[in-house]
Amino acid sequence: MRKLEEVLQDWEAVIGLEIHAELTTLDTKMFCGCKLEFGAEPNTHTCPVCLGMPGALPVPNRAAIESIVLAGLATNCDIEKHSMFYRKTYMYPDMSKNYQTTQGPVAFCMRGHLDLDVDGAAAKERADLDGLAVGESRGNVTRTTDGYTAHVGITRIHMEEDAGKMVHIGGGEGRIAGATHSLVDYNRAGTPLTELVTEPDLRTPEEARLFMQKLRQIYLALGISDCSMEEGSMRCDGNVSLRRRGAKEFGVKTELKNMNSFKNLHDGLAYEICRQAEVLEEGGQIFQETRHWDPSKKRTIVMRVKETADDYRLFPDPDLAPYDLTDEWIESVRAKLPELPDQKAARFEDAFGLTPYDARHLVEHRETADFFEACMELAGDEAAKLAKPVANLVINDVTAYLNAQDGVKLADTALTPARALGLVKLVAADAISSKQGKVVFAAILDEDKDPDAIVAERGMEQVSDTGAIEAVVDAVLAANPDKVAQYQGGKTGLIGFFVGQCMKEMRGQGNPKLINELLAKKLG
Amino acid sequence: MNLAGTHTTCSSKMLENYVSPFTATCVERTIAAGGIPLGKLNMDEFAFGSSTETSAFGPTRNPWDVTCVPGGSSGGSAAAVAAGLATVTLGSDTGGSIRQPGSFCGTVAVKPTYGVVSRYGVVAFGSSLDQVGPFARSVEDAALAMNAIAGRDVLDCTSQDVGTDFTANLAEGVRGMRIGVVPAFMEAKGLTPEVKAKVEEAAEHLRALGAELVEVELPNAQAAMSAYYVLGPCEAFSNLARFDSVRYGYCDPGHTDLNSQYEASRAVGFGPETRRRVMLGSYLLSAGVYDRYYYPAQQVRTLITQDYARAYEQVDCILAPVSPRTSFKFGEVSDPTDMYLSDMFTISINIAGNGGMSLPVGLGADTHLPVGVQLISPAFKDENMFRAAAALETVYGTAPVAPAFADGKAGE
Repeated sequence: MRKLEEVLQDWEAVIGLEIHAELTTLDTKMFCGCKLEFGAEPNTHTCPVCLGMPGALPVPNRAAIESIVLAGLATNCDIEKHSMFYRKTYMYPDMSKNYQTTQGPVAFCMRGHLDLDVDGAAAKERADLDGLAVGESRGNVTRTTDGYTAHVGITRIHMEEDAGKMVHIGGGEGRIAGATHSLVDYNRAGTPLTELVTEPDLRTPEEARLFMQKLRQIYLALGISDCSMEEGSMRCDGNVSLRRRGAKEFGVKTELKNMNSFKNLHDGLAYEICRQAEVLEEGGQIFQETRHWDPSKKRTIVMRVKETADDYRLFPDPDLAPYDLTDEWIESVRAKLPELPDQKAARFEDAFGLTPYDARHLVEHRETADFFEACMELAGDEAAKLAKPVANLVINDVTAYLNAQDGVKLADTALTPARALGLVKLVAADAISSKQGKVVFAAILDEDKDPDAIVAERGMEQVSDTGAIEAVVDAVLAANPDKVAQYQGGKTGLIGFFVGQCMKEMRGQGNPKLINELLAKKLG
Repeated sequence: MNLAGTHTTCSSKMLENYVSPFTATCVERTIAAGGIPLGKLNMDEFAFGSSTETSAFGPTRNPWDVTCVPGGSSGGSAAAVAAGLATVTLGSDTGGSIRQPGSFCGTVAVKPTYGVVSRYGVVAFGSSLDQVGPFARSVEDAALAMNAIAGRDVLDCTSQDVGTDFTANLAEGVRGMRIGVVPAFMEAKGLTPEVKAKVEEAAEHLRALGAELVEVELPNAQAAMSAYYVLGPCEAFSNLARFDSVRYGYCDPGHTDLNSQYEASRAVGFGPETRRRVMLGSYLLSAGVYDRYYYPAQQVRTLITQDYARAYEQVDCILAPVSPRTSFKFGEVSDPTDMYLSDMFTISINIAGNGGMSLPVGLGADTHLPVGVQLISPAFKDENMFRAAAALETVYGTAPVAPAFADGKAGE
């Protein structure tokens, strides 16, 4: 198969996403009073309603409707004042009533959008930006200095209930094939679930990943879901089709499932685009089918072929009266909107003079954004001066550490805003080198000590005394007359050798900037 | 109706061994008001029928003539009161399932306005049509039962607060009340002369008691039957989808794949009439068909509701037949569509959502079987029909126990 970048030169990928998010931060289920709790003993959070016992009736959870309206407001949706719940029929044991209560043609949230900032390597997948000047737009894309902005439409966000969980016993890897029997856990049944459907506005796997990331940041900022892709509280299906560059007609699409991480979302779509291109280039045909992304084998496999559209026999749920939202209520929800990631990034740029890139990456996670802000508060008058190095520390070192630690919360580590700021100040004042800074950073986390104490204990204070450094520089030059001659003969690469020798003499504590300056001057 | 720890079978083999884990609100409220549950009563399977003949456990006999049906679907509830076995029973009415057996067995039988009584715990047939109500031998007993069961229930979001004492105006009489008569109902094909005569006689009594009789038109009511046999099966199809043999209910043994277990369990567990309604609903909701039936049926529903609203601008209550005829012999009505005609005067009230009740007015001149007349209230003004019914009861007397069961006899 050809590489994605090559394929996208010839083909345009048309991608739409369906993103489910469970409203995990609520206390109770969508239509009954059962507690929401992940990981409880199977079938302990159930009642006649979520078990679909005869005679049980649903009662909607108002808090869930407030949550979805928050999501709609945060994604620029129109909030529909009059909407209904519908019954979607499908017979399967994970759906106790054998119909899912969901919404019909009119959802609570309709016609929204998100603007994606795509930059750096992520922007390289987009192959149709040639000749587009900064600030110029084409289709849903506007060129920016370091990439482009894509305007992605949101068709709707609707409210529904989640199904129970099936476990198949006796087959391989819990799969139904070869299983002798299946077990159902209804703890998840009836969990309030939102489904967001995008317009087919995405053109690259990176855009799809960024959309999902941005939506996740927004939902986390709203506090409506824990958005755990691993535990399945946030799930994404992708629809993808190809058409020749310049073509207007959509191709046949496939639906992709099991993309339970940002990486899998990207890689699954990338694989599927390349697979479809190969099939089409060989004169083959794409079938409308559901495919499963297998991250270990790095390929998609057919789950089922859709010959005809499923007939869900959707009709208005007579147990649930139509929902009428008032303007006053919608405004009261709007008043509860917290600062959203885009707004926070803009504020960071304004208040601390950060670049859009730094600001955007800081707000990717609420904990890093909050941490940065705590540092800035402690910095007081020096905030503007220290913003850039603090941002770098957070975006690079802290993020890398947290990623490596897998699941550790920043608040649970030994790194406090005061310690981070102390470290940044030491480097900024040239008291230690940036290389030493990395050592101190690791030591703070490992030994749970303040940066000053670590520097003192290890005798790491950087020597910035010009006299002391000059003496060492002179001694090194005197000891290596042949190298000096070579340098002066044009082998300027030897500067690294001299710096290294001086550093060795000073046991790593010499200020590299001063050493470089003095060497340059003396070697002149 | 669920009562924790008891069998709730809906007269179906599907639920033959099903034991309720919880209690329906209407049952709980009856017990809270001092009622003593004596037992569960027979009905048509899942309330699909008008004679109890579709019950998987055999039919109930009419206490007035044991060769005749008690009506249905809540035939057991009507028969129990008529036989003096219970003072009050409860039933549910989706198209006439309380009023028609009430008429056949000669008991007071009330279908309140939709939303007056909680449906929580009552196994659903047509969720937008179902309503629970009492059977009794006097209007006052029925009103007392209504006082016990009516009112908002947080577990049923279609239930509403009514704040009505149903006994409050029973002694007021009908002087000054405007009572509507629908000429098209009185001229309807299939209405037997003896039933028509009884309705006319009741109208005359009401006039004599001081009510003003007013002719009202319900121009779209003749479409109620068609709308009902779209909406009812659609909702029933969906409500019965949960009976799949997985969590409870009849499970056909020996199947190795899910679909064959589903199919066999439902084929064996459901009787013919239930299967007919499920198939009908499944067809009517399917893609391409939905727009031709379900949607127009909802439009008809709006028109009928508007008809009643207009009629109630002129009258406080409407007088009508309940059933076009008195009870019939077992097996006498075998064509399902003929059976559906039993509900021709009751269905439009479920479609519109307002309240209706059957009041016994003696025996038919030809068949010598009980006849009921129907009093129909505006939505959430159920007290109007109780007031008119109580006035008529002063003429006809409270409902007697069927003669064969009177004075401690057990129907020998």
